[in-house]
Amino acid sequence: MKSTLRNPYVYLLFVLPTIILYCMFFIYPTITSFVYGFTNWDGLNHKAFIGLDNFVNAFKDAEFRSSIWNNLIILLFSSCIQVPLIVVFALLISSVKRFQGFYKTTVFMPSILSTSIIGILWGYIYNPDVGLLNSILKNFGVETIYWLAEPKLAMFSILVTNAWQWMGFYIVLILAAILAIPKDIDEAAMIDGATGVQRAWYLTVPLIKPIINVVIMLSIAGALRVVDIVLVMTGGGPAGSTDVMASYMVNKAIKFGDYGYGSALSIIIFAIALILTALYQLLIARRQERIEY
Amino acid sequence: MPATAKKVIPHLFMIAYVVVILVPFLFVLFSSFKLDNNEITQHPFAFPKHFSFDNYKETWVKAKISVYFFNSLYLAFSAAVVGVLLAAATAFAITRMKLEKSSQWIYQFVLIGMLIPGNVLFIAQYFLVRDLHILDTHWALFLPYTAGALPFSVLLLAAFMRAIPHELEEAGTVDGMGAIRMFTKIILPLSIPSLVTVFIINFLGNWNEYLLSNFFISKDSLRTLPTGMVGFRDAFQMNYALICTGIVFSVLPVLILYTFLQRQIIEGLTAGSVKG
Amino acid sequence: MKKKLTSVLAVSMAMSAFLAACGGGNDGKNAASPSASESASPSPSASESASPSPSESAAPKVEPFSMTVRHIQIGEPRKFRLAILNSVLDNVKKDVPEVSFELDGVEDSVNRFTKLPAEMAAGNPPKIFSLFAGAGDAQKYAKAGRLLDLTPIIDELGLKDKFLNVLDPWSVDGKVYGLPIGGNTEGVFYNKELFAKYNLEAPTTWDALIKAADTFKQNGIAPIAVGSKAGWVPNMFVNTLIGRIAGENANAGFITGETKWNSPDVVAAYQQYADFEKKGYFTKGELGKTYDDMLNDFIAGKAGMMFDGSWRNSAFTDQLDAAGKPAIGAKLAGKVSYIALAPVPNGKGDQTAMNANYAEGYGFSADLNDNEKAVVKSFVKNLFSDEMQLRGLLEDGVLPSMKLSDEALGKVTSPLLKEVLDALKNSSKTFPHFDQIVQSKVYSETETQLQKLIAGKATAQQVGDAIQKVQDAENAAAK
Repeated sequence: MKSTLRNPYVYLLFVLPTIILYCMFFIYPTITSFVYGFTNWDGLNHKAFIGLDNFVNAFKDAEFRSSIWNNLIILLFSSCIQVPLIVVFALLISSVKRFQGFYKTTVFMPSILSTSIIGILWGYIYNPDVGLLNSILKNFGVETIYWLAEPKLAMFSILVTNAWQWMGFYIVLILAAILAIPKDIDEAAMIDGATGVQRAWYLTVPLIKPIINVVIMLSIAGALRVVDIVLVMTGGGPAGSTDVMASYMVNKAIKFGDYGYGSALSIIIFAIALILTALYQLLIARRQERIEY
Repeated sequence: MPATAKKVIPHLFMIAYVVVILVPFLFVLFSSFKLDNNEITQHPFAFPKHFSFDNYKETWVKAKISVYFFNSLYLAFSAAVVGVLLAAATAFAITRMKLEKSSQWIYQFVLIGMLIPGNVLFIAQYFLVRDLHILDTHWALFLPYTAGALPFSVLLLAAFMRAIPHELEEAGTVDGMGAIRMFTKIILPLSIPSLVTVFIINFLGNWNEYLLSNFFISKDSLRTLPTGMVGFRDAFQMNYALICTGIVFSVLPVLILYTFLQRQIIEGLTAGSVKG
Repeated sequence: MKKKLTSVLAVSMAMSAFLAACGGGNDGKNAASPSASESASPSPSASESASPSPSESAAPKVEPFSMTVRHIQIGEPRKFRLAILNSVLDNVKKDVPEVSFELDGVEDSVNRFTKLPAEMAAGNPPKIFSLFAGAGDAQKYAKAGRLLDLTPIIDELGLKDKFLNVLDPWSVDGKVYGLPIGGNTEGVFYNKELFAKYNLEAPTTWDALIKAADTFKQNGIAPIAVGSKAGWVPNMFVNTLIGRIAGENANAGFITGETKWNSPDVVAAYQQYADFEKKGYFTKGELGKTYDDMLNDFIAGKAGMMFDGSWRNSAFTDQLDAAGKPAIGAKLAGKVSYIALAPVPNGKGDQTAMNANYAEGYGFSADLNDNEKAVVKSFVKNLFSDEMQLRGLLEDGVLPSMKLSDEALGKVTSPLLKEVLDALKNSSKTFPHFDQIVQSKVYSETETQLQKLIAGKATAQQVGDAIQKVQDAENAAAK
């Protein structure tokens, strides 16, 4: 009777649907990506094997290089500028008693909305003629600013939108960790005469370091995943200045019909993601001791 | 520093933040009631002069928002439910059934999927879907949505099920329960909190998905809300009042749901991301 | 927790029940039905229906069937063309009562550069679709066997000699694979009211054009409206500049190698564009502006001129459309003129030549069963009739692609449309847009590079070099 949990047929019944779907939509596409990546397939004519040409071209391709650079900018912006702000706001919310729930709910809200809807919404906020931002600035005598049309500004405008959408999510994440710290530690420090800022910096921040690491990790992964917002807001423009790797890949494949090249780009994106994850694990995460409380 | 000031300062910062979050929504809401671009430019912050719902009627008809909305809803819902159930079954098998070797192997194998960033497989999935002859049908989204959530869902549910004490199904075996009944009668009900978490994560992910939906579906009547709305914006880009109405339509249901289920949604999403 | 879960479940149950109800009421189409399992399995229309034996299908018992029509007639400015399409489809339904149409309206460039290429690659284009002529579009798909050969239908309907000499970019090896709904020229629209206000002469000469531009600029009006978010919009002006500066035969030579993108003449054309850019002759923030924004700016009087296709004349009519709504630019009715771009000093070739295109039309999937072929035949018959051609001209301002009688042409009353016709009549020669000539990769590169030029990220010479590099590769691959 005990064998019911050892019955391989029952086991298969539980496992097989998942395995089949997983193989179909993860393993098989991964393999075919590698196969396509070495061809010059344009979707219409026969594919021909062209060796490493696609990869060589990718690194010669100035536009692709600039799209890697844009991903890097997003990555740096989200981990170096957003994360400190996130910690500060989480500490601020944790320090108040009134409205804590309201703040938490409100800042979290943008992260449940569709990125494409947010792209439309912010495209309107940034609209040079009728948008909110220029309407405000006009009162201060600022001339029309072309937020999404000016190559130097467009990336920044997208970064702000991206931060607007995701910061609240991370704030709530860190807030949960702060609130989980036992009160007595904090109270002991308060009796010792530490100020609020001191307590936050010397006590709370070290205690929540593991979760900050998680947030950095998620920000890095998020920076590589950015694509919807670019496609919806600028389509990679003006003049390619907001293209990220994924949007460039999608455009190459779909708009230019360069499926072979696009597949090669996707392999490169995959490789970059793996390298970043590995680097982070080796350099930072491993050195952290987990602090239990 | 006086004590009151100390108390007020955090609130000042937080109120500023909250304003930054809310003002875009208010701006869009006000704009949606305005007559035309002219009225928006002249009085961007003014409360609309008259609450005419003409824009709402027009948008509802022109943008087929109802169609997009229900497409999104049933796709996101069905893919999330099926995904959760499949992942739960797999998690049950690899954590509770006594075929440890294969379980280890399968677990590791499925986790490889967590390393692959979603959009990397886009081109290959496109051709897969094409070769299955399901391009431009809802299957082209349902299957990748369901499959896409599996690695993460298995990971999360397996972690949860491992923690369930083994005495329970030992009692079950004594009662002569089969594995299937043990799964449905004991483990599944006990796992409900984590099932809900996984469901919420998957549902919102599917609900908001843009890339696949944009390229795998071209029939207007099959579009989901994110792509349908982008199409609507492209078609009516001169009439900002209409576009704002469209935004209100697509954001409102989510916000209503959020007000009722905020605790579950926040807990689900944050817990999911940390464990994942 | 448990209590909440029950309510979550209850809500979701209610939703799915609601959904089921809605899905049922949805014309029986597979749109929103949760039981998509039957309807969505391997698309029924494409593969199965193609096989039944050909002779039987003409038999009276034809099951109702539906065909997808992909068109680009969306948004305000294209409403006239949509009206004509709808009339044609209504007429088709009279010929083939069993058919119903599923209209799929997509923005022009999305259709041309995103949807159609992907569908063509996948081998599942819509049955009837808006198609663009030339090497990058119609001819490419025809060679790949994706398009229905229309020659038999044209012969059968006796349309062969009715078309103007405009079918070359739609043909491969003498067979016709698509038909242009009409034609257009590309030239300068200018706001007569603004020109009068600043005492400016019509921009028929280069000096007048430059003087007008400088005057507008000084008065805070954009001299030339443009929306460069999509590269094809500024490319119109570049194309005519190449025709003026490098000669009207220049762009035909790109695929033969006779003309090089980085030759001094072509680079000079790009340089001319860059100079205008530098002098601030174009709308500010143009890289964020769409094609519709360009029209909006012009209508709002924010710009004095606009380089655009002659099809835009229908935006400036004071006639109401079928729904009783005025045209988007109705307030400028009678205040807009259309002329060819002024001769460029030191330009090569014929300085009165004008760009003329018959590039927008419809194509049909090669994968059709006999019922669907009957629909296509009726569609061609009804769309390419004297009546619809005249409607296209009068309502939509599209130049006819078929020969119309003088009597019919005499019905043109709109002064702007008359100017459009005159501009074409007065130009001794015409030349096509290079977007119908060069391969699609080359064309995409021209858009990318032009936007770089506009953004100040590349010089005219760099632009020419970069495009020529792609052109060389494509020409070599074609051999």
